[in-house]
Amino acid sequence: MQSTISPANQTEHSINSAFASHFAKSMFFTIVGLAILVFIGTRMFSHIDLNLYGYMVGTIVFIGGFFYRFIAWGERPPTKIIIKKGLKLLFRKKTVKTAVNHLAIYDFIKKRGFYRWLQHVLIGWGCILACLVTFPLVFSWMYFTMADNGYYTVVVMGMDVIKVKADGIIAWLSYNALNISAIMVITGVCMALYRRMKNMQARAEQKFIYDLLPLYLLLFISVTGLLLTVQNVFLAGFLQPQMSLIHQFSVIVTLIYLPFGKLAHIPFRPMSVFARNYREHYGEQHMKECKVCGNHFVSVEQSNDVIQVLDVNDIHFNMEDGFNLAELCLPCRRKYRISRFSGIPTHQVKHKEANQNARG
Amino acid sequence: MKKRLYLELENCIGCRSCLAACTQCGGHEQRNRNYVYDVNPLVNRQTMPLMCLHCVNPACARSCPAQAIQIHETGAVLSALVEKCIGCQNCTIACPYGIPKFDTEQNLMYKCDLCIDRTKDGIPPMCESVCPSNTLQWLTDEEIEAKNQQFNLDNGKWVTSMPYLEGETNVRVNLPGILQGVTKLF
Repeated sequence: MQSTISPANQTEHSINSAFASHFAKSMFFTIVGLAILVFIGTRMFSHIDLNLYGYMVGTIVFIGGFFYRFIAWGERPPTKIIIKKGLKLLFRKKTVKTAVNHLAIYDFIKKRGFYRWLQHVLIGWGCILACLVTFPLVFSWMYFTMADNGYYTVVVMGMDVIKVKADGIIAWLSYNALNISAIMVITGVCMALYRRMKNMQARAEQKFIYDLLPLYLLLFISVTGLLLTVQNVFLAGFLQPQMSLIHQFSVIVTLIYLPFGKLAHIPFRPMSVFARNYREHYGEQHMKECKVCGNHFVSVEQSNDVIQVLDVNDIHFNMEDGFNLAELCLPCRRKYRISRFSGIPTHQVKHKEANQNARG
Repeated sequence: MKKRLYLELENCIGCRSCLAACTQCGGHEQRNRNYVYDVNPLVNRQTMPLMCLHCVNPACARSCPAQAIQIHETGAVLSALVEKCIGCQNCTIACPYGIPKFDTEQNLMYKCDLCIDRTKDGIPPMCESVCPSNTLQWLTDEEIEAKNQQFNLDNGKWVTSMPYLEGETNVRVNLPGILQGVTKLF
């Protein structure tokens, strides 16, 4: 391999050739970036909360798993196309609206059922809230100091941002943010588990490792986290150090598991914004006409991309009639198949397709 | 004993029971995922069913950027995983038979999953279990081979799916000899 690379190429990609792989490069820059942020946030490493040291190591292991999983995934031809074109179209006006819709209020899940939407909002936003509190604390991007008695100074990225009363409402909300998120997650997970027990289809299809394990892990984290509060408030800290280790263990196991199971859809989901942009943008540009009936059914760009992706996979749908199957609209493609089966040119008959919806 | 869905196309009488049965399968949420087409609509009443043929190398799954379309160990190509499907509709463009349907409201693709909750335990899919004319059958490979022997016309015009499909499929199709001007020996 080495001998085939010309010297000109080597100098051109000097940064890339410093790393053994894409994975190594991403890992290196992320860790360096993280170290710099911690350096700034902790005022030159003077405010690290060593109680949370385990979470820090867990996060770095998680980042390793994350890059391993997602670089492999991003190398798949169709994924590569969507990521590349999605990034190019990221600054469309509608991106914000689509992103809020897909990633914050989950409108499309509401259409799949209110119950599922509610459980998803509770779990999703519970986790987001918990992450927003936990990670800044773990990396000391946010911490509290008390200069004046009775007042906390909130320090964010090394800057004194706000002074709050120690028994005020903002302070109360920050002390209890993780309790609130734990209650949200527990409620959502219980709803999900109930659905998985009652819904016959879910029961038929679910697998323990894929569908139930992530729910149990979230429950494990939330319950042990909430128990910490119970031990502090009602039991004078009885067995609190032990429970805090158990809680830490539950979080780290979940972080390591996250890129490989069902929870992988969390970092993966922004792709749906890319996909929507991709369809809308190229749809406005130039629509493809069906080779048989002339209806516009998809953008030219997407049709070509799909043909190319299938070529890479050594799947070629070039017909003797002189078209690729991806150039036919869906009803015509189905009729074309019937014509292949029967020998009668069904797709050429100018006749609207019969109703295909069983509910009329 | 592994059984397959086997289509004997010219038996179809166009009753559309398979469409109705499809809506009643547990995970199908009242939406049918199969089709019944008129073969020569302005001339005669012959119909044929069309459903996912469950390709061995499925173009829909290969073109999915999110790896949402999984292939079950029985060979069934499953409907998109709800948490993974990103709504790009590549699968609908890739499928050589035009099978996957897309729900724009739910931003979700859905397609025939061969009633996986039934077929994984060897129970025939809904469409097969209601078909009154034996167009759809649930057979072992030996039984399909026996059909092959029975209908072998020794003129290269019979059954095998391959030259009429785009690749090997898990569903086997018996091509309609009657429509091709070849009488079958029933």
